[in-house]
Amino acid sequence: MRRINQNMALGAVIVALALFALFAWVPNDTVSGFVESKRGRLSIGDAMAPGIAFGLMALSGLILLLEARKGDMPGALEQRTFAFLLVALTACAVSFGVMIWAGPLAVAVFGGEGDTYRNLRDTAPWKHIGFVLGGTGLVTTLIALVEKRVTSNAVMIGLAAALALVGVFDLAFDNLLLPPNGDQ
Amino acid sequence: MSETLQYIGLGIMSVLNGPELFSIFGIGVPVAIVMLMGGLLTGIAVGATPGLAGPMAMAISLPLLISAFGFTPDALLPVFAFLIGIMKGATLGGAVPAILFNLPGTPDAMMTTLDGHPMAQNGQPKRALRIAQLSSVSGDTFSDIVLFVCAPFLAVIVERYLDLPEKTALLILSISFIAAVMGASVGKGLLSVSLGLIAAFIASGSDLSPRLTMGIPALREGFSLTAAVLGVLIVGEILSTLEELWRNKHALKVKDVENRGAIDGLQRGDIRRIVPYIGRGAVVGTMIGALPGVGSTLAATLSYTLARRRHRAITASEDPQFGTGVPEGIAATEAANSAVSGANLIPVLSLGIPGNAAAVFLILAADSIGGFNPGPAVFTFTENEINPQLVTAFGIFTLMALGNLLNWTVGGSFMRAMGVLAKIPAHYLLPVVLLVAMTAIYFQETSMFAIWTTLGFGVFGFFMRKMQVPVLPFVIAYILAGPIERSAREAFSASGADPWFLFKSPISVAFLVLSLAAPVFLSRGGKKPS
Repeated sequence: MRRINQNMALGAVIVALALFALFAWVPNDTVSGFVESKRGRLSIGDAMAPGIAFGLMALSGLILLLEARKGDMPGALEQRTFAFLLVALTACAVSFGVMIWAGPLAVAVFGGEGDTYRNLRDTAPWKHIGFVLGGTGLVTTLIALVEKRVTSNAVMIGLAAALALVGVFDLAFDNLLLPPNGDQ
Repeated sequence: MSETLQYIGLGIMSVLNGPELFSIFGIGVPVAIVMLMGGLLTGIAVGATPGLAGPMAMAISLPLLISAFGFTPDALLPVFAFLIGIMKGATLGGAVPAILFNLPGTPDAMMTTLDGHPMAQNGQPKRALRIAQLSSVSGDTFSDIVLFVCAPFLAVIVERYLDLPEKTALLILSISFIAAVMGASVGKGLLSVSLGLIAAFIASGSDLSPRLTMGIPALREGFSLTAAVLGVLIVGEILSTLEELWRNKHALKVKDVENRGAIDGLQRGDIRRIVPYIGRGAVVGTMIGALPGVGSTLAATLSYTLARRRHRAITASEDPQFGTGVPEGIAATEAANSAVSGANLIPVLSLGIPGNAAAVFLILAADSIGGFNPGPAVFTFTENEINPQLVTAFGIFTLMALGNLLNWTVGGSFMRAMGVLAKIPAHYLLPVVLLVAMTAIYFQETSMFAIWTTLGFGVFGFFMRKMQVPVLPFVIAYILAGPIERSAREAFSASGADPWFLFKSPISVAFLVLSLAAPVFLSRGGKKPS
């Protein structure tokens, strides 16, 4: 019963979003309409394709509503799914945050006077600090999430993976910049 | 005819006479061959590892390959070589854990477990692996030959008989068909297609001010194609599998088979027994593979069912039957699922319509590098000047033939050595793959925004999987959105702004009727496997 309700809810939300987009988003966020006239010649405007796509989306929502009324359909979300995703995304966000900020922080604390991360972003070990710490953290936390405990194996695998990537790509290719050095 | 032979020759020479990577005894080894071999071995290893898959390896290697070889036309064949190698190798490698550990390395190897694993349990794992290799490579070779013959003919017919409105209608038919045949329901297939179209339309268009950006500056360039495809196909899959492992850590755990002392290896009469089943499986796989979006799992299931019926009819009731470890069962499934991969490239090369995940990455490679646009224009045979796209197409055919040759020779022994990979816990591998994927996307885009975008699309792909909304129609629609809109705009202009431009020719009308008929008739079966 819950699955039928979820699929019906999905269908209803899809129809509502598609109608909102068709009547509010597309008209207000495209310069030309469905058809535009330039120097007396008619051509298809920028709103036509998204309009049709949102029309298809609305149709898919209606079909989903009909299919859900007919019977049980596979596919359902559970609370545990959201719990997993929340933890996994937090792990990813924190790891990428460490990747971005660990290098500049290390330069600020341990670098010489007048040094900035931007000047040192192509100099070892500064350029590796963020990637190694963030990459190790990403792998370790995701393994720990599945194993439901932090193990030395998880840390070693994370560190080995990050160092291997540094070894393979940073040392072998001059033109490749490890994250986040291209942004700095 | 003479120009056809000339182009075939040029295609072969473009591979063999390409830049040398190194030389052995003074003979130069072209980089494309080395990349093909590397891709093939990577593909076999990836296919043999539960939790990983060919498209995952293609997705990760594509940005790295492009970074290594650059964006020049010279990069096309080495990059294609590696991707084709992965595609062919993964098909072969998927049988290894299916046979040895009752755990399909790739989804299409599911049916191989039915007879492959019982044969291994009966003490004949090498025999099962050898039969799987022979059947898989035979099926793949057959479908490649069909591809080499059919793709140019289909492209020439399309160029000769289809004008802009018909081509627009054909593209509409292709996404309608994919929406109808993929996923748990037609509604979910259509939803996936519409979302793919919408995502592709953001910040594209012909106006100076990009559309549908909601005023967000970061969206003014639209989503990176690679970030969207990698996110939905790969990161979504990694998150989904990790969640499955989080619920049950032992979901992908393997159990060794016991050796019961039976004589192992290929037996006398095995080849004679399996040849008819390989033939039928290859035909079934090729026919199904030529239809965009219809996966190799269906081909393997159909071939296995037909083979079981045939086997039951011609054998005595006391003979071993399907499901007990008979060679015919392995042959029927492996020939069919491998035959899908070559035939899947027929719509890609002749029409520019990707039918499966591997084809998506080949199109992505062509799109990223430039100089080769899969579609009917590729097969334009010119006399006075050389069509470089056609040379590349015949170069791709040459690489596929060489890939089969390598699969026939070194593929078998490498495949048999890969059983050990199935024992690596997937929850150790997948986070590493995620890190490699994110690093690879950064190499191509050089922006943390691309990483966040990939992660965002990954979450989107995760929810799609959980709700059993198929992800491949999203990706295919994302790729085809631009060509459909462009083609429709040109057709509308060429018709003198006739609003009925799609209904002026009988072929176009037929395609549109089929576009409507596909979801209606293909939905009658009720629930379909995802």
